[in-house]
Amino acid sequence: MNVQVENHDKVLVAKVEGRVDSSNSQDFERQLQGAIGEDVKAVVIDLGQLAYISSAGLRVVLLVAKTLGQRNVSISLCALSDPVQSVFEISGFNRIIQIYDSQADALAAAG
Amino acid sequence: MGDRDRPDYKILVVDDEPDLERLVRQRMRRHIRKGKYGFEFAGNGVEALEVLTENKDIDIVLSDINMPKMDGLTLLQQIPEVNSDLRSVIVSAYGDMENIRTAMNRGAFDFVTKPIDFTDLEVTIERTLRHLDEWRAALASRDKLVAIQNELDVATKIQQSILPDKFPHVDGCEVYGCMHAARNVGGDFFDVINLEAGRIGLAVADVSDKGVPAALFMMSSRTLLKGAAVGVEDPGAVLREVNDLLNETNDAAMFVTVFYGVYDPSTRMLTFSNGGHNPPLVVHPDGSSEELELTGGLALGAIPGFEYGQASVRLSPGDLVVFFTDGVTEAINVSNEEFGLESLQGLFADGRTPTAREAAEMILQAVQDFAGEAPQFDDLTCMTLRVADE
Repeated sequence: MNVQVENHDKVLVAKVEGRVDSSNSQDFERQLQGAIGEDVKAVVIDLGQLAYISSAGLRVVLLVAKTLGQRNVSISLCALSDPVQSVFEISGFNRIIQIYDSQADALAAAG
Repeated sequence: MGDRDRPDYKILVVDDEPDLERLVRQRMRRHIRKGKYGFEFAGNGVEALEVLTENKDIDIVLSDINMPKMDGLTLLQQIPEVNSDLRSVIVSAYGDMENIRTAMNRGAFDFVTKPIDFTDLEVTIERTLRHLDEWRAALASRDKLVAIQNELDVATKIQQSILPDKFPHVDGCEVYGCMHAARNVGGDFFDVINLEAGRIGLAVADVSDKGVPAALFMMSSRTLLKGAAVGVEDPGAVLREVNDLLNETNDAAMFVTVFYGVYDPSTRMLTFSNGGHNPPLVVHPDGSSEELELTGGLALGAIPGFEYGQASVRLSPGDLVVFFTDGVTEAINVSNEEFGLESLQGLFADGRTPTAREAAEMILQAVQDFAGEAPQFDDLTCMTLRVADE
């Protein structure tokens, strides 16, 4: 698992690679929370290179979404592979977190 | 580096030669000034034990052998009773192999010979301290592991204590459930609840994350679910109530995926609501099977005020409903391949019609056979509802 961060103006893009499960979800949380600065207006999490996410990983996404929601910072996900998309659909998280097909769509909406 | 008052390491020098203290302070003055070493001095074994009793933080005892009152070899035997977290270095006459051997047998870590060569002594002290640091680090990580293991044991006990081990005997159907907990303890549970008019509440659930917090969250989820199920008829309303209650105190953003269904044996109707859980599989007597529809739900605990939909399906005689957690379909083998839904469906493709118990045990066995030597990361939970044959 690896998180790479880019800043597009005040939109933070976090690209997550590999697998997120209970063995590294704490590390995932630290990396993600650590990357989100004070002046960020929106966060886009690009899951294009994410192969697998377990419920422990979903919890981190939910936690970050809740934290950002309290600060009125928008959060969205993009570029989900089919298996990852299916995890979000079954858990119902696609109903509470905005998901876009591509990073460009997510950035356009966040801009 | 330690703080100003306390050196990094404390060394007790035990020798009846009065000039040695001055010599040590002089030759080690740079280390003393930098705060690396601090020294205490004692004139014999008895004094040494007194110093050790008063100073529990001594790291090294550097002791002569021949001294009045108590010699160095006797001192070596006494030290562990006062402090077992230090290392001893013995100072002996050159070539005195007999005493050196006795000293090493009595637990000395190393020795130096007289007359003391201070360069050699420094090397010996450094080596001893390195050993001591590693030893202490190993002890600390062992203690940490023991603490984690204790925590996991607590979680396992919580988890096991809430699983039903008796299943209701109901005309027209049969229910069974079993679980294989992962070593690192997840948060699966299943429940079978006797409701009014012969109906049965069936729940299978999976808490995000692992360990004691997850086990406690599972415990409250299960209690709330049971409470709501007894008072509320519609599965969707049950999940809504549990979700709102779980959201009242949930700073950690934990959640639990729950499938909850109510089966009425008299009509063979299964009414269900899916709170973010992987859908159960309905297996027909001819071996065909399909997943139950998702009902537009959401994992419980995620956000308050969510409305949970529900759906119904009329089962046929001989149908088998398999409720499970994703530990079953996402189990991986040594080649990192997933067991998958197709393999689960394949178990029934030949059209045999096992009992509820046979089916649940067969599934867990098949998953374990598939996983082989690969470590089990997640709990395996399987509950089955078998509609009686006509």
